[in-house]
Amino acid sequence: MGEIKVVVKMLEANEELALKNRELLKERGIYLLNMISSPGSGKTSLLEQMIHRLKAKLKMAVIEGDLYTTRDAARIEAQGVPVVQINTQGACHLDSRMIHEALKQLDLAQLELLIIENVGNLVCPAEFDLGEDAKITVLSVTEGNDKPLKYPLIFEKSEVVILNKMDLLYYTNFDLKEFYDDLHAINNQLIVFETSCRSEAGLAELSDWISSKVRISREGDFGKKVVD
Amino acid sequence: MHETSIVAEVIKIVLAKAREYKISKVNAITAKVGELTGVSPEALSFAFEVFSKGTIAAEAEFKLNTVKASAKCETCEVIFAINHVNKKCPVCHRFCNNILTGYELLIETIEGE
Repeated sequence: MGEIKVVVKMLEANEELALKNRELLKERGIYLLNMISSPGSGKTSLLEQMIHRLKAKLKMAVIEGDLYTTRDAARIEAQGVPVVQINTQGACHLDSRMIHEALKQLDLAQLELLIIENVGNLVCPAEFDLGEDAKITVLSVTEGNDKPLKYPLIFEKSEVVILNKMDLLYYTNFDLKEFYDDLHAINNQLIVFETSCRSEAGLAELSDWISSKVRISREGDFGKKVVD
Repeated sequence: MHETSIVAEVIKIVLAKAREYKISKVNAITAKVGELTGVSPEALSFAFEVFSKGTIAAEAEFKLNTVKASAKCETCEVIFAINHVNKKCPVCHRFCNNILTGYELLIETIEGE
């Protein structure tokens, strides 16, 4: 037999399930965020802060990706919101199937906002659509301002970048101008929040952004339901 | 190493297509990898060698063709080469988000007997 023309996306299976996740959550008016960063950038601390600020006004839950431990999930649980732990057993990213399974463990009727904390890695999670409404990349100033150039794909695909640990800026050689120049050369539509979980700088702005995105997405869904 | 996960999917797709077309031995697979995908062709080839062992695609040649990244300016309609950090139209110098090529991760053809 000769050559067969197939033309199939290599990640077709992941994309199909991502679409299912997206539709499932859209039907229920749930806004999904996918938080990505390298290990130790402060994702879990930021999440704790966001939960603290948002849980009274938004029904929210968290999906925690972690290679082996349940430490982060325990920290989130202590904040009093539902959390589903995914242990990837060494795999370097979450995929849409894992999220699809995790969604079955949540009471979706009780939710408006769902945040995924991806596995700490700036490379692999960039490739896998989970069905999120937006990707948020967290970078801390101690990691250095060269990271957008070194890992451009994730900054290209994100809607928001959080520059965290701003309280430590003075102690590093992080060059803010170079950082913004590089970032905007990669993606000129990025929204950036400069934050610190210690001084609480930027946290109110970030939580306002999240709640406004949830509100806008729910208003859109409400409009659709009325038309249906 | 997201390439290993990607290759695992490639092999699933190839084996399913082989069954569909009643191929008992896959000789060649051609694929397209866009420049912007962040996927290393070398790592894909290596992962393919490992993951295809023991399957009917074990001896297949995995041919990867790189696709150059390009964009089309919404204002001047010029098509030009881009990379991650340079997406400005060479004519009007506006930042361009209308990316045409560079994100491909496609299996194109399968050849077998």
